[in-house]
Amino acid sequence: MSLLSVKNLRVTFDTEAGRVEAVRDVSFDLGRERLGIVGESGSGKTMTGRAVLRLIRPPGKIEADEMTFDGIDLMRASETEMRALRGPRIAMVMQDPKYSLNPVMKIGAQLTEGLRQRDRASKPEAYAKAIDALNAVHIRDPERVMEAYPHELSGGMGQRVMIAMMLIPNPDLLIADEPTSALDVTVQAEVLSILDNLVKTRGMGLIFISHDLRLVARFCDRVLVMYKGKVVEELAAKDLLHAKHPYTQGLLNCLPRIGGAREPLPSLDRDASWAL
Amino acid sequence: MLIEIENLSVTYLRNGRQTRAVEGVSLAVAACESFGLVGESGSGKSTILRAICGLAPVSGGTIRIDGKAIPTPRGRAFSRRVQMVFQDPYASLHPRHTIDRTLSEPLAIHGLPLTDAAITKALTDVGLPANFRFRYPHQLSGGQRQRVAIARALMLEPEILLLDEPTSALDASVQAETLNLLSRLRAERGLTFLMVSHDLAVIDHMCDRVLVMQHGRAVEELTRDALATAQMKTDYARNLFAASADRMLQG
Repeated sequence: MSLLSVKNLRVTFDTEAGRVEAVRDVSFDLGRERLGIVGESGSGKTMTGRAVLRLIRPPGKIEADEMTFDGIDLMRASETEMRALRGPRIAMVMQDPKYSLNPVMKIGAQLTEGLRQRDRASKPEAYAKAIDALNAVHIRDPERVMEAYPHELSGGMGQRVMIAMMLIPNPDLLIADEPTSALDVTVQAEVLSILDNLVKTRGMGLIFISHDLRLVARFCDRVLVMYKGKVVEELAAKDLLHAKHPYTQGLLNCLPRIGGAREPLPSLDRDASWAL
Repeated sequence: MLIEIENLSVTYLRNGRQTRAVEGVSLAVAACESFGLVGESGSGKSTILRAICGLAPVSGGTIRIDGKAIPTPRGRAFSRRVQMVFQDPYASLHPRHTIDRTLSEPLAIHGLPLTDAAITKALTDVGLPANFRFRYPHQLSGGQRQRVAIARALMLEPEILLLDEPTSALDASVQAETLNLLSRLRAERGLTFLMVSHDLAVIDHMCDRVLVMQHGRAVEELTRDALATAQMKTDYARNLFAASADRMLQG
């Protein structure tokens, strides 16, 4: 049985300028695997991730024919039930550590807050677990980081702290929104191997949202390619380089390659019919 | 050599603690050449560009342009020759100035004739419609903003463009358009590029030579051929290259 099942998910915003359809009829099933969602900015990939957690504020509206997580109907769950799911069962790593960490709270306090409040852990117990979590994401000096404020960390450290925080309650499903876009290639490889390990050892499901096609091709099992709110192509990650849809092909072709020719990079000619 | 940097060190002093961002880096860029700086964040690659512009505290070494040491403060003659394009087009344009004002400011500062034609030409040169003149940055997309930032840098017709991760905030398709624009402008105007990026594929596409940096020091200088054929001598450069393996021609 799949962990998460989404059928015809729609996210719409009623604005003064009219109705904006951010996500249009997106359907997918997720088992205990790595699902990649790729697309350019504005393609609705982040909105899809947030909609699963019902984290879209009015005037945004979420509609779906079906959205179930482990037998729980996410469309009918009460706000209290959703709160119980967010964090312990479904966690989300947000895109930008600068905006998602509390700027006036030490990292240690932010990491232990959930353990103290939710799990009623004692102070030393929570501290030990937080240190473990920081070690798990390869932070070199966890004691120092616990005492630091978010502005004292680099982007890459902040992003790893976010991942550590989300993994403390051991979620069944992790939605990672561009978790590695602020990281350098070498650190990126490290973070990916941490996530990979969690999928393999804990049997966690992972939705990996990214604009980097090559990264997704290398790292995920399956890929959804989104364009203007719609899924234009779904394929196994290993087949991504042989994608059929002209949009996916265009996105791949416009990337420069080491050792490639010096001629102008092919640009992406958008076809109006892709958005239909 | 048009740009010569010898033994450059940059040291920040904060709360009585010294942070050495750049330590003894030397490099030389010929006229009309495109030179790349690559490395992880915190390796000091952007700091070198900032030091050239006078935006970072130089604690040692010399920077020469055309054989002459550059003055401190940099002055107008310097900014006529050297301009910089910053990483984040959302932060580098004044949010409450129209594009017209952003583009005319360099001309006004340098007392150059301010004409409608100059602004229109600057916009069309970077592939933007002339009617974007009276828009504000928030009415433009990320790619369009970066074009405006490039147009602004070119207003004074400089010889040298310092590019600090000019496409890392942009989508793949927009990145391709922006890189093509930069290549075209370089060919048309004979510009010299000093470009910083963490993406080896972008550097390889744009630059003739590249300097790999780590922890503020120069690790290894590579030509484009050496990069494409993976002939690096140091372990760090090799690791960086291996981590970018999915950016190779044969994926």
